[in-house]
Amino acid sequence: MSLSKEQQTELTRVAVFAGQILHQHGAESRLIEQTTQRIGLALGAENIELSISPDAIVITSLVAGHCVTTTRRCYDRGINMQMVCDVQRICVMVEKQLLDAKEVKKRLQRLKPFKHNRWLVVLMIGFSCASFSHFFGGDRAAYWVTFVAASLAMILRQELAHRQHNPFVNFAAAAFVATTITSFGVIVEAGENPQIAMAASVLLLVPGFPLINAVSDMLKGHINMGIARWVFSTLLAISVSIGIVASMTLIGVSGWTS
Amino acid sequence: MNDVMNFLLLLITDAWFAWVPAVGFAMVFNVPRKMLIFCAAGGALTHSFRFLLLHFGIPIEWATFIASANMGFLGLYWSRKHLIPRPVFTVASVIPMIPGSYAFTAMIGLVEINTSGYSLELMQIVMENGLRTLFILTALSFGLAIPSILIYRGRPIV
Repeated sequence: MSLSKEQQTELTRVAVFAGQILHQHGAESRLIEQTTQRIGLALGAENIELSISPDAIVITSLVAGHCVTTTRRCYDRGINMQMVCDVQRICVMVEKQLLDAKEVKKRLQRLKPFKHNRWLVVLMIGFSCASFSHFFGGDRAAYWVTFVAASLAMILRQELAHRQHNPFVNFAAAAFVATTITSFGVIVEAGENPQIAMAASVLLLVPGFPLINAVSDMLKGHINMGIARWVFSTLLAISVSIGIVASMTLIGVSGWTS
Repeated sequence: MNDVMNFLLLLITDAWFAWVPAVGFAMVFNVPRKMLIFCAAGGALTHSFRFLLLHFGIPIEWATFIASANMGFLGLYWSRKHLIPRPVFTVASVIPMIPGSYAFTAMIGLVEINTSGYSLELMQIVMENGLRTLFILTALSFGLAIPSILIYRGRPIV
């Protein structure tokens, strides 16, 4: 089976589109690389080479001595595991020869990021941070103070993210709000150890997914991607701590380093 | 006998409080609805397993490593069964073990050194919390990657 030049270009576009979706929704580099290569090979390319950098992917397909190279910018569109699952499912179907290039393209274009109900997320994140306060040894008062502070911070985070604010500004603002609310818990002496609520209520802002991705990228040989993700999550953590310090200075309550 | 019962109760309470953050963060990562139950089970199992290991005096880094390696293998089984990439289950399940509090304490210490000047106590806080964050986090990711590093070695899992 020999592919025409147009078919090769089309195949390359389909493969890079799949890779772009994975990159934008927070898949780890190994998964991006493997899935893109598998889709390309299943559609008939002899070889697929790809280079992943933090904000773009470059892909070259080889068919009968001819190369086609294309680049796509990848803007961060937030972590969305449902998109990653769907692309993976399409990849498996292509490998079983159930879909051709046109069909794959149609299916990839039809994918829509699924979002959980935002109020349900707020509720669950509130309870999550409250559970962390239990792990730190907090009592019932700390539990509920944390719940309120974390829920309000999460609402602010969603609102700012919805308006496409810079993530660093967003995280600093959310940390400020959470710490301010829990500081009032310290002032009115809610429960035995209200400082615990201050520590637990900002844990919704830990960039856990980028951090884990960073280390696993570096372990699997994608050092540049790993460093980029590591630096990004460190900057997020620094902006969170600036939000916390700003609030503590303003209210005059210290709960972290003393 | 009574001690064993008390400890079991602690273990179950730990598992109960651990499934909540696992599901909460899984929802932030938009894990499909059908898969949330696996994140809940994974989070509860992993965190209570680490609680058990810590109880027997294993250092926190190694306990985290063993618990997350277990989660890696459990995720391997689930991902082969449902044809879904492994991070979908595994990352949300280990979120309750992420050393977020240590990380923020280290960063806040840095900010305080800048504002109030260098002192040994602040530097101690920064170094201890920072290093603990680094080691726990590496143990966590390394544990999750164990199946693909040792068994699959570059071949795709799904």
